[in-house]
Amino acid sequence: MNGGWRAQLRLLAVQGTWNYERMLGVGMGYAAEPLLEDLKTVDPVRHSEAVVRSTEFFNCHPYLAGLALGATARAEYEAVPGPQITRLRTALCSPLGALGDELFWTGVVPALIGVALSAVVLGAGWWAIGGLLVLYNLFRLGTGFWALRTGYGAGMKVGSAIGSSWLPRAVARVGPIAGFSIGLAIPLVAGWFLRGFGWSGGIAAVALAGVGVAVTRWFGPWLTSVRFTLLAMLLLLIFRRIGL
Amino acid sequence: MTELPPYGVIILVIWGTITALDLVSVPQAMLSRPLVAGTVAGWLAGDIEAGLRVGVLFECFALDVLPIGAVRYPDYGPATVVAAALAAGAPWEFGLGIGAAVGVVLAILGGWSLQFVRRWNARAIQHRTAALAAGESSAIRLLQYGSLMRDGLRGASLTALGLAVAAMIEAKVPLDRRTAVGLSLVAIGGALAAAINGAIRSAGRGARLRWLIGGAGAGILLAVLT
Repeated sequence: MNGGWRAQLRLLAVQGTWNYERMLGVGMGYAAEPLLEDLKTVDPVRHSEAVVRSTEFFNCHPYLAGLALGATARAEYEAVPGPQITRLRTALCSPLGALGDELFWTGVVPALIGVALSAVVLGAGWWAIGGLLVLYNLFRLGTGFWALRTGYGAGMKVGSAIGSSWLPRAVARVGPIAGFSIGLAIPLVAGWFLRGFGWSGGIAAVALAGVGVAVTRWFGPWLTSVRFTLLAMLLLLIFRRIGL
Repeated sequence: MTELPPYGVIILVIWGTITALDLVSVPQAMLSRPLVAGTVAGWLAGDIEAGLRVGVLFECFALDVLPIGAVRYPDYGPATVVAAALAAGAPWEFGLGIGAAVGVVLAILGGWSLQFVRRWNARAIQHRTAALAAGESSAIRLLQYGSLMRDGLRGASLTALGLAVAAMIEAKVPLDRRTAVGLSLVAIGGALAAAINGAIRSAGRGARLRWLIGGAGAGILLAVLT
Protein backbone atom coordinates (compact mmCIF):
# COMPACT_ATOMS: atom_id res chain seq x y z
CA MET A 1 0.00 0.00 0.00
CA ASN A 2 1.81 3.13 -1.19
CA GLY A 3 1.04 6.33 0.66
CA GLY A 4 -0.24 4.42 3.69
CA TRP A 5 1.68 6.45 6.25
CA ARG A 6 0.62 9.76 4.73
CA ALA A 7 -2.96 8.57 4.59
CA GLN A 8 -2.69 7.50 8.22
CA LEU A 9 -1.42 10.93 9.27
CA ARG A 10 -4.14 12.64 7.27
CA LEU A 11 -6.77 10.46 8.93
CA LEU A 12 -5.91 12.24 12.19
CA ALA A 13 -7.62 15.27 10.63
CA VAL A 14 -10.46 13.37 8.95
CA GLN A 15 -13.01 15.56 10.76
CA GLY A 16 -11.18 18.77 9.85
CA THR A 17 -13.83 19.81 7.31
CA TRP A 18 -16.78 18.38 9.25
CA ASN A 19 -20.05 19.97 8.12
CA TYR A 20 -23.74 19.16 8.03
CA GLU A 21 -23.81 18.41 4.28
CA ARG A 22 -20.95 16.01 3.50
CA MET A 23 -19.96 15.35 7.13
CA LEU A 24 -16.59 13.50 6.91
CA GLY A 25 -16.67 13.54 3.08
CA VAL A 26 -13.99 16.10 2.29
CA GLY A 27 -11.77 14.84 5.12
CA MET A 28 -11.96 11.36 3.61
CA GLY A 29 -11.03 12.81 0.22
CA TYR A 30 -8.03 14.53 1.82
CA ALA A 31 -6.89 11.27 3.46
CA ALA A 32 -7.52 9.27 0.26
CA GLU A 33 -5.25 11.48 -1.85
CA PRO A 34 -1.92 9.72 -1.05
CA LEU A 35 -3.51 6.27 -1.46
CA LEU A 36 -4.89 7.12 -4.90
CA GLU A 37 -1.69 8.73 -6.22
CA ASP A 38 -0.50 5.63 -8.12
CA LEU A 39 -3.83 5.44 -9.93
CA LYS A 40 -3.03 8.79 -11.56
CA THR A 41 -0.27 7.28 -13.73
CA VAL A 42 -2.13 4.03 -14.45
CA ASP A 43 -5.55 5.45 -15.27
CA PRO A 44 -5.94 9.26 -15.00
CA VAL A 45 -9.67 9.20 -15.81
CA ARG A 46 -10.37 6.59 -13.15
CA HIS A 47 -8.19 8.57 -10.70
CA SER A 48 -10.27 11.69 -11.26
CA GLU A 49 -13.51 9.74 -10.74
CA ALA A 50 -12.07 8.12 -7.61
CA VAL A 51 -11.15 11.51 -6.13
CA VAL A 52 -14.68 12.77 -6.74
CA ARG A 53 -16.16 9.68 -5.07
CA SER A 54 -13.81 10.00 -2.10
CA THR A 55 -15.17 13.46 -1.20
CA GLU A 56 -18.85 12.55 -1.36
CA PHE A 57 -21.02 12.32 1.77
CA PHE A 58 -19.60 10.00 4.38
CA ASN A 59 -20.00 9.65 8.13
CA CYS A 60 -18.74 7.13 10.63
CA HIS A 61 -16.62 7.05 13.76
CA PRO A 62 -13.45 8.98 12.89
CA TYR A 63 -11.05 6.35 14.31
CA LEU A 64 -12.55 3.58 12.17
CA ALA A 65 -12.74 5.67 8.99
CA GLY A 66 -9.55 3.91 7.84
CA LEU A 67 -11.54 0.72 7.25
CA ALA A 68 -13.75 2.45 4.72
CA LEU A 69 -10.87 4.45 3.27
CA GLY A 70 -8.67 1.38 2.75
CA ALA A 71 -11.49 -0.73 1.34
CA THR A 72 -12.62 1.89 -1.18
CA ALA A 73 -9.05 2.69 -2.26
CA ARG A 74 -8.40 -1.00 -2.90
CA ALA A 75 -11.69 -1.24 -4.81
CA GLU A 76 -10.62 1.70 -7.00
CA TYR A 77 -7.38 -0.11 -7.92
CA GLU A 78 -9.34 -3.29 -8.65
CA ALA A 79 -11.53 -1.31 -11.07
CA VAL A 80 -14.74 -2.15 -9.21
CA PRO A 81 -17.64 -0.22 -10.84
CA GLY A 82 -18.10 3.24 -9.31
CA PRO A 83 -21.72 2.81 -8.16
CA GLN A 84 -20.69 -0.35 -6.29
CA ILE A 85 -17.95 1.56 -4.43
CA THR A 86 -20.43 4.30 -3.53
CA ARG A 87 -22.83 1.64 -2.20
CA LEU A 88 -20.00 0.15 -0.11
CA ARG A 89 -19.22 3.57 1.41
CA THR A 90 -22.88 4.12 2.21
CA ALA A 91 -23.25 0.64 3.69
CA LEU A 92 -20.24 1.13 5.96
CA CYS A 93 -21.46 4.40 7.53
CA SER A 94 -23.82 2.99 10.16
CA PRO A 95 -21.89 -0.11 11.30
CA LEU A 96 -18.59 1.75 11.60
CA GLY A 97 -20.35 4.58 13.42
CA ALA A 98 -22.08 2.24 15.87
CA LEU A 99 -19.01 0.07 16.50
CA GLY A 100 -16.70 3.06 16.96
CA ASP A 101 -19.09 4.95 19.21
CA GLU A 102 -19.55 1.90 21.44
CA LEU A 103 -15.87 1.03 21.49
CA PHE A 104 -14.52 4.54 22.06
CA TRP A 105 -17.13 7.05 23.24
CA THR A 106 -19.02 4.75 25.61
CA GLY A 107 -16.19 2.28 26.22
CA VAL A 108 -12.49 3.09 26.15
CA VAL A 109 -12.87 6.83 26.84
CA PRO A 110 -15.04 6.58 29.99
CA ALA A 111 -13.03 3.55 31.17
CA LEU A 112 -9.73 5.42 30.97
CA ILE A 113 -11.20 8.69 32.22
CA GLY A 114 -12.67 6.89 35.21
CA VAL A 115 -9.30 5.32 36.03
CA ALA A 116 -7.52 8.66 35.57
CA LEU A 117 -10.03 10.50 37.79
CA SER A 118 -9.67 7.88 40.51
CA ALA A 119 -5.88 8.01 40.23
CA VAL A 120 -5.84 11.83 40.47
CA VAL A 121 -8.07 11.74 43.53
CA LEU A 122 -5.84 9.09 45.15
CA GLY A 123 -2.79 11.31 44.62
CA ALA A 124 -1.24 10.18 41.32
CA GLY A 125 -1.33 13.75 39.90
CA TRP A 126 0.61 14.20 36.67
CA TRP A 127 1.23 10.46 36.34
CA ALA A 128 -2.48 9.88 35.94
CA ILE A 129 -2.70 12.50 33.17
CA GLY A 130 0.40 11.13 31.39
CA GLY A 131 -0.82 7.55 31.69
CA LEU A 132 -4.21 8.52 30.29
CA LEU A 133 -2.66 10.25 27.28
CA VAL A 134 -0.17 7.47 26.53
CA LEU A 135 -2.59 4.55 26.92
CA TYR A 136 -5.41 6.20 25.01
CA ASN A 137 -3.27 7.34 22.11
CA LEU A 138 -1.49 3.99 21.81
CA PHE A 139 -4.85 2.25 21.55
CA ARG A 140 -6.35 4.86 19.28
CA LEU A 141 -3.37 4.97 16.89
CA GLY A 142 -3.06 1.18 16.94
CA THR A 143 -6.73 0.88 16.00
CA GLY A 144 -6.23 3.43 13.22
CA PHE A 145 -3.28 1.53 11.71
CA TRP A 146 -5.17 -1.75 11.96
CA ALA A 147 -8.26 -0.20 10.37
CA LEU A 148 -6.46 1.15 7.30
CA ARG A 149 -4.45 -2.03 6.74
CA THR A 150 -7.50 -4.27 7.23
CA GLY A 151 -9.65 -2.14 4.95
CA TYR A 152 -7.02 -2.09 2.21
CA GLY A 153 -6.36 -5.80 2.56
CA ALA A 154 -10.02 -6.79 2.39
CA GLY A 155 -11.31 -4.38 -0.26
CA MET A 156 -14.95 -5.10 -1.07
CA LYS A 157 -14.95 -7.92 1.53
CA VAL A 158 -14.30 -5.50 4.36
CA GLY A 159 -17.66 -6.31 5.99
CA SER A 160 -16.71 -9.92 6.70
CA ALA A 161 -13.19 -8.83 7.75
CA ILE A 162 -14.75 -6.55 10.40
CA GLY A 163 -17.17 -9.25 11.53
CA SER A 164 -14.41 -11.80 12.11
CA SER A 165 -12.03 -9.32 13.74
CA TRP A 166 -11.44 -8.41 17.40
CA LEU A 167 -13.66 -5.35 17.08
CA PRO A 168 -17.13 -6.78 17.91
CA ARG A 169 -15.70 -8.82 20.80
CA ALA A 170 -13.90 -5.79 22.24
CA VAL A 171 -17.09 -3.73 22.05
CA ALA A 172 -18.91 -6.34 24.13
CA ARG A 173 -16.16 -6.43 26.78
CA VAL A 174 -15.29 -2.78 27.21
CA GLY A 175 -18.76 -1.61 28.30
CA PRO A 176 -18.79 -3.28 31.75
CA ILE A 177 -15.21 -2.09 32.40
CA ALA A 178 -16.27 1.47 31.59
CA GLY A 179 -19.31 1.14 33.86
CA PHE A 180 -17.20 -0.05 36.80
CA SER A 181 -14.51 2.56 36.22
CA ILE A 182 -16.94 5.49 36.15
CA GLY A 183 -18.91 4.05 39.06
CA LEU A 184 -15.69 3.92 41.08
CA ALA A 185 -14.61 7.43 40.14
CA ILE A 186 -17.78 9.41 40.96
CA PRO A 187 -17.88 8.78 44.76
CA LEU A 188 -14.12 9.25 44.98
CA VAL A 189 -14.34 12.61 43.18
CA ALA A 190 -17.26 13.66 45.38
CA GLY A 191 -15.31 12.81 48.53
CA TRP A 192 -12.18 14.57 47.24
CA PHE A 193 -14.06 17.79 46.60
CA LEU A 194 -16.43 17.84 49.53
CA ARG A 195 -13.96 16.94 52.28
CA GLY A 196 -12.86 20.58 52.33
CA PHE A 197 -16.33 21.99 53.03
CA GLY A 198 -17.47 20.18 56.17
CA TRP A 199 -20.70 18.22 56.66
CA SER A 200 -23.17 21.00 55.87
CA GLY A 201 -21.41 21.96 52.63
CA GLY A 202 -21.06 18.33 51.62
CA ILE A 203 -24.72 17.55 52.23
CA ALA A 204 -25.79 20.69 50.34
CA ALA A 205 -23.69 19.77 47.28
CA VAL A 206 -24.88 16.14 47.27
CA ALA A 207 -28.50 17.30 47.64
CA LEU A 208 -27.99 19.69 44.75
CA ALA A 209 -26.54 16.85 42.67
CA GLY A 210 -29.64 14.75 43.46
CA VAL A 211 -31.96 17.59 42.45
CA GLY A 212 -29.84 18.10 39.33
CA VAL A 213 -30.14 14.46 38.28
CA ALA A 214 -33.90 14.50 38.89
CA VAL A 215 -34.76 17.75 37.10
CA THR A 216 -32.43 17.22 34.14
CA ARG A 217 -33.98 13.81 33.56
CA TRP A 218 -37.45 15.29 33.95
CA PHE A 219 -36.95 18.44 31.83
CA GLY A 220 -34.29 17.06 29.47
CA PRO A 221 -33.11 17.39 26.81
CA TRP A 222 -33.70 21.14 27.12
CA LEU A 223 -32.43 21.35 30.70
CA THR A 224 -28.94 19.87 30.46
CA SER A 225 -26.65 19.51 33.48
CA VAL A 226 -24.64 22.52 32.33
CA ARG A 227 -27.73 24.71 32.08
CA PHE A 228 -28.96 23.46 35.44
CA THR A 229 -25.63 24.42 37.03
CA LEU A 230 -25.70 27.86 35.43
CA LEU A 231 -29.26 28.38 36.64
CA ALA A 232 -28.34 27.30 40.18
CA MET A 233 -25.36 29.67 40.15
CA LEU A 234 -27.55 32.56 39.01
CA LEU A 235 -30.08 31.82 41.76
CA LEU A 236 -27.31 31.73 44.35
CA LEU A 237 -25.95 35.09 43.19
CA ILE A 238 -29.46 36.62 43.28
CA PHE A 239 -30.09 35.25 46.78
CA ARG A 240 -26.76 36.57 48.02
CA ARG A 241 -27.44 39.95 46.40
CA ILE A 242 -30.77 40.36 48.24
CA GLY A 243 -29.14 39.23 51.47
CA LEU A 244 -30.46 35.68 51.90
CA MET B 1 -6.19 34.70 39.04
CA THR B 2 -2.42 34.95 39.13
CA GLU B 3 -0.72 37.93 37.49
CA LEU B 4 0.33 36.70 34.07
CA PRO B 5 2.93 38.37 31.85
CA PRO B 6 1.88 38.97 28.20
CA TYR B 7 3.75 35.88 27.02
CA GLY B 8 1.94 33.85 29.71
CA VAL B 9 -1.39 34.97 28.28
CA ILE B 10 -0.22 34.14 24.75
CA ILE B 11 0.84 30.65 25.84
CA LEU B 12 -2.57 30.10 27.45
CA VAL B 13 -4.30 31.25 24.25
CA ILE B 14 -2.13 28.84 22.23
CA TRP B 15 -3.00 26.00 24.64
CA GLY B 16 -6.70 26.90 24.42
CA THR B 17 -6.46 26.86 20.62
CA ILE B 18 -4.82 23.42 20.67
CA THR B 19 -7.55 22.04 22.92
CA ALA B 20 -10.26 23.52 20.68
CA LEU B 21 -8.68 21.98 17.57
CA ASP B 22 -8.30 18.65 19.34
CA LEU B 23 -12.00 18.38 20.14
CA VAL B 24 -13.07 17.59 16.56
CA SER B 25 -10.60 18.72 13.90
CA VAL B 26 -7.13 17.38 14.71
CA PRO B 27 -5.68 15.20 16.26
CA GLN B 28 -8.37 14.07 18.75
CA ALA B 29 -5.64 12.91 21.13
CA MET B 30 -7.52 13.64 24.40
CA LEU B 31 -5.82 17.03 24.78
CA SER B 32 -9.26 18.63 24.83
CA ARG B 33 -10.41 16.49 27.76
CA PRO B 34 -10.86 18.88 30.72
CA LEU B 35 -8.63 16.74 32.94
CA VAL B 36 -5.71 17.30 30.56
CA ALA B 37 -6.61 20.84 29.46
CA GLY B 38 -7.16 22.04 33.03
CA THR B 39 -4.04 20.50 34.54
CA VAL B 40 -1.78 21.90 31.84
CA ALA B 41 -3.49 25.32 32.08
CA GLY B 42 -3.03 25.28 35.86
CA TRP B 43 0.65 24.49 35.40
CA LEU B 44 0.98 27.32 32.83
CA ALA B 45 -0.78 29.71 35.20
CA GLY B 46 1.48 28.66 38.07
CA ASP B 47 -1.05 26.69 40.13
CA ILE B 48 -1.24 22.98 39.31
CA GLU B 49 -3.60 22.25 42.23
CA ALA B 50 -6.18 24.70 40.87
CA GLY B 51 -5.74 23.26 37.37
CA LEU B 52 -6.29 19.71 38.61
CA ARG B 53 -9.39 20.67 40.62
CA VAL B 54 -10.90 22.60 37.70
CA GLY B 55 -9.94 19.77 35.32
CA VAL B 56 -11.63 17.12 37.44
CA LEU B 57 -14.73 19.33 37.84
CA PHE B 58 -15.14 19.94 34.11
CA GLU B 59 -14.31 16.31 33.34
CA CYS B 60 -17.45 15.43 35.32
CA PHE B 61 -19.46 17.79 33.10
CA ALA B 62 -17.84 16.26 30.00
CA LEU B 63 -18.92 12.76 31.07
CA ASP B 64 -22.47 13.84 30.24
CA VAL B 65 -21.49 14.36 26.59
CA LEU B 66 -21.77 11.63 23.99
CA PRO B 67 -20.27 13.09 20.80
CA ILE B 68 -22.05 10.81 18.34
CA GLY B 69 -23.26 11.75 14.87
CA ALA B 70 -24.17 15.39 14.49
CA VAL B 71 -25.03 15.92 18.15
CA ARG B 72 -24.40 19.40 19.60
CA TYR B 73 -22.36 19.67 22.78
CA PRO B 74 -20.41 22.27 24.78
CA ASP B 75 -16.71 22.76 24.04
CA TYR B 76 -14.97 22.20 27.37
CA GLY B 77 -11.35 22.62 26.18
CA PRO B 78 -10.90 26.43 26.06
CA ALA B 79 -13.52 26.77 28.85
CA THR B 80 -11.41 24.64 31.19
CA VAL B 81 -8.25 26.54 30.25
CA VAL B 82 -9.89 29.86 31.15
CA ALA B 83 -11.51 28.47 34.31
CA ALA B 84 -8.18 27.08 35.51
CA ALA B 85 -6.44 30.39 34.84
CA LEU B 86 -9.14 32.26 36.78
CA ALA B 87 -9.06 29.84 39.70
CA ALA B 88 -5.25 29.89 39.92
CA GLY B 89 -3.62 31.73 42.78
CA ALA B 90 -6.52 31.50 45.23
CA PRO B 91 -7.36 28.67 47.67
CA TRP B 92 -9.27 26.23 45.46
CA GLU B 93 -12.40 26.31 47.67
CA PHE B 94 -12.82 29.98 46.72
CA GLY B 95 -11.53 29.98 43.16
CA LEU B 96 -13.28 26.86 41.85
CA GLY B 97 -16.81 28.31 41.76
CA ILE B 98 -16.07 31.56 39.97
CA GLY B 99 -13.79 29.72 37.53
CA ALA B 100 -16.56 27.21 36.87
CA ALA B 101 -19.15 29.97 36.36
CA VAL B 102 -17.07 31.61 33.63
CA GLY B 103 -16.06 28.23 32.21
CA VAL B 104 -19.61 26.92 31.93
CA VAL B 105 -20.74 30.01 29.99
CA LEU B 106 -17.69 29.74 27.75
CA ALA B 107 -18.32 26.03 27.15
CA ILE B 108 -21.86 26.78 25.95
CA LEU B 109 -20.52 29.59 23.76
CA GLY B 110 -17.90 27.19 22.44
CA GLY B 111 -20.61 24.71 21.46
CA TRP B 112 -22.42 27.41 19.48
CA SER B 113 -19.18 28.53 17.82
CA LEU B 114 -18.63 24.95 16.68
CA GLN B 115 -21.98 25.02 14.85
CA PHE B 116 -20.99 28.33 13.28
CA VAL B 117 -17.70 26.86 11.99
CA ARG B 118 -19.49 23.80 10.62
CA ARG B 119 -21.91 25.99 8.66
CA TRP B 120 -18.96 28.08 7.48
CA ASN B 121 -17.25 24.88 6.27
CA ALA B 122 -20.40 23.92 4.36
CA ARG B 123 -20.46 27.33 2.64
CA ALA B 124 -16.78 26.99 1.69
CA ILE B 125 -17.51 23.58 0.16
CA GLN B 126 -20.47 24.98 -1.78
CA HIS B 127 -18.15 27.65 -3.25
CA ARG B 128 -15.85 24.89 -4.52
CA THR B 129 -18.48 22.40 -5.68
CA ALA B 130 -17.37 22.64 -9.32
CA ALA B 131 -13.72 21.97 -8.43
CA LEU B 132 -14.72 19.00 -6.27
CA ALA B 133 -16.93 17.62 -9.04
CA ALA B 134 -13.93 17.88 -11.40
CA GLY B 135 -11.81 15.84 -8.96
CA GLU B 136 -9.29 18.63 -8.25
CA SER B 137 -7.06 17.50 -5.40
CA SER B 138 -5.90 21.07 -4.77
CA ALA B 139 -9.48 22.08 -3.96
CA ILE B 140 -9.72 19.33 -1.34
CA ARG B 141 -6.46 20.46 0.28
CA LEU B 142 -7.55 24.11 0.29
CA LEU B 143 -10.87 23.20 1.90
CA GLN B 144 -9.17 21.07 4.53
CA TYR B 145 -6.55 23.68 5.49
CA GLY B 146 -9.16 26.45 5.44
CA SER B 147 -11.43 24.51 7.78
CA LEU B 148 -8.59 23.78 10.18
CA MET B 149 -7.72 27.49 10.20
CA ARG B 150 -11.33 28.42 10.93
CA ASP B 151 -11.45 26.02 13.86
CA GLY B 152 -8.11 27.30 15.15
CA LEU B 153 -9.37 30.86 14.90
CA ARG B 154 -12.47 29.81 16.83
CA GLY B 155 -10.39 28.30 19.62
CA ALA B 156 -8.04 31.28 19.85
CA SER B 157 -10.91 33.80 19.91
CA LEU B 158 -12.80 31.80 22.50
CA THR B 159 -9.80 31.50 24.81
CA ALA B 160 -8.77 35.14 24.39
CA LEU B 161 -12.33 36.32 25.03
CA GLY B 162 -12.59 34.09 28.08
CA LEU B 163 -9.30 35.31 29.52
CA ALA B 164 -10.34 38.94 28.95
CA VAL B 165 -13.67 38.34 30.73
CA ALA B 166 -11.86 36.50 33.53
CA ALA B 167 -9.46 39.40 34.04
CA MET B 168 -12.38 41.83 34.07
CA ILE B 169 -14.30 39.78 36.64
CA GLU B 170 -11.19 39.48 38.80
CA ALA B 171 -10.76 43.26 38.77
CA LYS B 172 -14.36 44.49 38.92
CA VAL B 173 -16.47 41.81 40.63
CA PRO B 174 -15.18 41.18 44.15
CA LEU B 175 -16.88 38.18 45.77
CA ASP B 176 -17.20 37.69 49.50
CA ARG B 177 -16.03 34.38 50.89
CA ARG B 178 -19.50 32.92 51.47
CA THR B 179 -20.58 33.61 47.91
CA ALA B 180 -17.32 32.18 46.51
CA VAL B 181 -17.69 29.00 48.59
CA GLY B 182 -21.39 28.79 47.65
CA LEU B 183 -20.52 29.00 43.96
CA SER B 184 -17.92 26.25 44.39
CA LEU B 185 -20.48 23.98 46.09
CA VAL B 186 -23.04 24.64 43.35
CA ALA B 187 -20.40 23.88 40.71
CA ILE B 188 -19.48 20.60 42.44
CA GLY B 189 -23.15 19.61 42.83
CA GLY B 190 -23.84 20.39 39.17
CA ALA B 191 -20.74 18.51 38.01
CA LEU B 192 -21.68 15.43 40.07
CA ALA B 193 -25.20 15.56 38.60
CA ALA B 194 -23.69 15.66 35.10
CA ALA B 195 -21.36 12.73 35.79
CA ILE B 196 -24.18 10.63 37.31
CA ASN B 197 -26.47 11.45 34.37
CA GLY B 198 -23.80 10.46 31.85
CA ALA B 199 -23.00 7.23 33.72
CA ILE B 200 -26.66 6.19 33.99
CA ARG B 201 -27.40 7.00 30.36
CA SER B 202 -24.39 5.03 29.07
CA ALA B 203 -25.10 2.09 31.39
CA GLY B 204 -28.51 1.23 29.99
CA ARG B 205 -30.18 -1.71 31.78
CA GLY B 206 -27.86 -4.65 31.14
CA ALA B 207 -24.62 -5.98 32.62
CA ARG B 208 -23.03 -2.56 32.41
CA LEU B 209 -25.53 -1.15 34.91
CA ARG B 210 -24.61 -3.88 37.38
CA TRP B 211 -20.93 -3.09 36.91
CA LEU B 212 -21.67 0.61 37.38
CA ILE B 213 -23.44 -0.09 40.67
CA GLY B 214 -20.59 -2.39 41.74
CA GLY B 215 -18.04 0.31 40.91
CA ALA B 216 -20.04 2.92 42.81
CA GLY B 217 -20.13 0.63 45.86
CA ALA B 218 -16.36 0.16 45.69
CA GLY B 219 -15.89 3.90 45.20
CA ILE B 220 -17.99 4.78 48.24
CA LEU B 221 -16.02 2.29 50.34
CA LEU B 222 -12.70 3.65 49.10
CA ALA B 223 -13.83 7.26 49.66
CA VAL B 224 -14.76 6.45 53.26
CA LEU B 225 -11.50 4.59 53.92
CA THR B 226 -9.13 7.17 52.40
